[in-house]
Amino acid sequence: MAKSNSYSIGRRKFLKGAAAAAIGGGVVAGGSYWLGSIRRVSRSVAKKVIIIGVDGMDPGLCGEMMKQGLLPNLAKISAAGGFSNLGTSIPPQSPVAWANFINGAGPGSHGIFDFIHRHPQSPRAPFYSAAETIPGEGAWEIGDHRLQLDFFPFNHKPPKTVLRRQGIPFWDYLDKAGISSTFYDLPSNYPASPSEYGNHRCLCGMGTPDMRGSYGTYQYFSEDGPLKTVDDGGGTRTRLAFFGDSAIAQLVGPENSMLKVPQPVTVEFEVHRDTLSNAALIEIQGEKILLKPGTWSRWLRVDFGLSTPTPLPNKRVHGICRFYLQEVSPNFRLYVTPVNVDPSDPAIQISEPSDFVEGISEQLGLFYTTGFQEDHKARSNGVFTDDEFLKQATMVLDERLALLEYALNDYDDGLLFFYFSSSDLQSHIFWWNGDAPHPTRSAAEARKYFGHIQHLYRQLDAVIGDLNDRYGGKATIFVMSDHGFANFGRQFNLNSWLRDYGYLNPHNCSSILVDGNWSRTRAYGLGINGLYLNLKGREREGIVEPGEEQEKLTKQLIARLQAVRDYNGEKVIRHVYQTDEVYSGNATELAPDLIIGYAPGYRASWTTCLGDLTPEVLMDNDSAWSADHCADALDVPGVLYCNQKIRTKQPNLTDLAPSILAEFGLPTPNSMSGRSIFTS
Amino acid sequence: MTELVVWLNTVANACAEYALAPLAFLPGWLSATLVAIVTGILMLLIFKYTSNQVSIKQVRNGIRANLLALSLFQDNISVSLRCQARVLVGACRLFLLAVVPMLVMTVPMCLLLAQMALWYQARPLHVDEEAVLTAFFADNSNEIPEVQLEAASGGEVKIGPVRVPSKHMVCWSVWAQEDGCHRLSLRIGKQTFEKEFTVGEGFARVSLRRPAWNWFDVLLHPRETPFSQDSIVRAIEIDYPSRHGWASGSGFWLIYWFVVSMVVAFCVRPWFNVNI
Repeated sequence: MAKSNSYSIGRRKFLKGAAAAAIGGGVVAGGSYWLGSIRRVSRSVAKKVIIIGVDGMDPGLCGEMMKQGLLPNLAKISAAGGFSNLGTSIPPQSPVAWANFINGAGPGSHGIFDFIHRHPQSPRAPFYSAAETIPGEGAWEIGDHRLQLDFFPFNHKPPKTVLRRQGIPFWDYLDKAGISSTFYDLPSNYPASPSEYGNHRCLCGMGTPDMRGSYGTYQYFSEDGPLKTVDDGGGTRTRLAFFGDSAIAQLVGPENSMLKVPQPVTVEFEVHRDTLSNAALIEIQGEKILLKPGTWSRWLRVDFGLSTPTPLPNKRVHGICRFYLQEVSPNFRLYVTPVNVDPSDPAIQISEPSDFVEGISEQLGLFYTTGFQEDHKARSNGVFTDDEFLKQATMVLDERLALLEYALNDYDDGLLFFYFSSSDLQSHIFWWNGDAPHPTRSAAEARKYFGHIQHLYRQLDAVIGDLNDRYGGKATIFVMSDHGFANFGRQFNLNSWLRDYGYLNPHNCSSILVDGNWSRTRAYGLGINGLYLNLKGREREGIVEPGEEQEKLTKQLIARLQAVRDYNGEKVIRHVYQTDEVYSGNATELAPDLIIGYAPGYRASWTTCLGDLTPEVLMDNDSAWSADHCADALDVPGVLYCNQKIRTKQPNLTDLAPSILAEFGLPTPNSMSGRSIFTS
Repeated sequence: MTELVVWLNTVANACAEYALAPLAFLPGWLSATLVAIVTGILMLLIFKYTSNQVSIKQVRNGIRANLLALSLFQDNISVSLRCQARVLVGACRLFLLAVVPMLVMTVPMCLLLAQMALWYQARPLHVDEEAVLTAFFADNSNEIPEVQLEAASGGEVKIGPVRVPSKHMVCWSVWAQEDGCHRLSLRIGKQTFEKEFTVGEGFARVSLRRPAWNWFDVLLHPRETPFSQDSIVRAIEIDYPSRHGWASGSGFWLIYWFVVSMVVAFCVRPWFNVNI
């Protein structure tokens, strides 16, 4: 009986305890749910890793500003975990560096060595290194049209753009392990690599084209523009002819590849100006936009009709653009952004899964989708002033901050990666660190605009501070950049230098792509840091014998390049890297033979990148693009902040992927050459 | 004709003021569905009492009989062809028998759709949003007169006027500042021309255009009284933003209403004993 009683009481106690525990648990869960909504954080208890990729954030400037107490939030993360230089890629170019980050291994694993590549068998046709459009096969020709039908019985192959980055991205390991990962604006991943298990989402970043298939082509209309549209590289200039106070212009959209001779599709729009009120009205596809000088329109959806053979209806695709009125009179000037892919109804796949971007657009509306959002080309080509560029770049940053807020609200657990381009593209225009004279700005101006970069760093610090307040105790947070920054005051034409030493011929060659004599050329430069030998058996018209001659030529080139001095005795090239020594992996087929590591203040000249030659070898850089990072990798390291202790002494970009996998309890795969930063 | 439409609109506005008032509080999909259900039933009843139900029943029976004959005598070509012809004639007769009720329904349905368009075709501006206001002037005016837009308490003129003489119009950008239904005044000399300006969240009646003295324009834009025939200002319109939603969005509400009201009418037909 007694036993029975004790059993009975025990059960009652147990039931009471269980009920109390359930209520307590419910209260805690409800409380944390409520607190979660108050503190704007995920309610999931699963493992969280957040990476903020700040393109081009410089560790030197960060260090200085932290010392001055100007980056309190980054200093807080640094104190909690660590702050370090982050070894960058060779060469330190964004597509290469981000691919290193993605693969956890060097360029030999992913096959991206520069912004620009060439096929050895067709060196006169360089192409963008991270993606390539493969022409289609077969077509059905009707009248002016050429249709590619990819179904039975036609089975034509339409052209497609493929990602050229090779190797295994680290999120594939997370995907397989059932860990979710979400990337916003990830560079070097267009077209997006597919998710096999459905745990990976990605909005494509750098490399994503606009509707014209370019990396961003703005359109500029002015009364003093050329009669026939001129392509300025990254933008076009067109004359606007007013009759009375009205003019008609054409907005150029995507190319209609269904035509035998592909033509861009245009949309007509009307411009009416009122000089008395100093304003203008733009009418496009039934929409009216009123602008004053210095104001931007909202995003507009533009409907492009791609003609098809009669009686088929036209195929319709949408793009988005914004108008910016610069001046009403005396010289009417109007800028139109590149026609971006419409995120609410994308004409091409710009995310993985393809509807990911549409979901974002449902919440945020329309936003920039091209890879390069800050219109540096408009600044370099003189369409924007510094202040106009700054305003446009600020608009981009505001959009991205809204996207970050969306990303954090949408985040539960797993990996979240968010990318900021502002720090890179604004630095290219405004960075000028040190006392060296700026090639185009006065010292006061250079200081003023460099002040914008410092302001931007403080803005980003505040954003990271908010993130740390929300997730600091719940997630491992990385803040990292792919490279740092350096002044770019003088430019070096590698091809002109090769010509002067007789490596490249003829002596009056204007461009290796046009009038280079391959039978007399032993070496040539293409891309920003690449130097190629005209190697027999590899290049179509190679003349350098592999083996001894190749080795001798390589050594000679390295010695001579490293000895180059400017007029004032400054060293121009800090180091020349032999790729067979610094690259390892299976994807080195298109690698240059040598990588030029420029000294701070120097970079490859604008013309040499696409094979052009100039009479002078060394020149001032008079472009608005007055800072760069395509120098020697040792001079422009990236930055790494982490709220966990960094144990590696010299962390590298390739170490981040293993570190992320380690955070989720996954081993470092053989495909990676980096090692976790959390192990000493 | 225009005067008649103006009078009809006055009646419709008065009725809709109360009948459609709940639309302001209900979710878009629900209100669009309820309106479609009610109008589906009403259309069915109108059809019942304005059509010749006996004749329709006879014709439908005849069609049924001929369809049956078609399946029974499919081997006999002459009978099959005759039956097919009779089915065709029956369908034509059914159509003719529906003409009267359709004519009767045309006017109330047009008025109803114009009232629904006020709710679903566009949404009010949100505070801090901008819209373009366009005033159209009479084609016979050689020059655009000196014109001034005075914003109400709820809005502010941000840009303009931008005069477009080739199109006889003047535009302003109006900035919404306060929720509510405001009035904007256009001053030309001593004359004042007003236009409604709606700011707010959710559902509210939005008048896209104060119409010209033209019966069709007046029919499409019933909310505001049209400008007189001799007015120097022909019409004033505001480019309100589109409303999104599969049931009550700008591009969808009409299709949704049509489909749901038809489905409802067919579904409830047996209960109301209506031959269609």
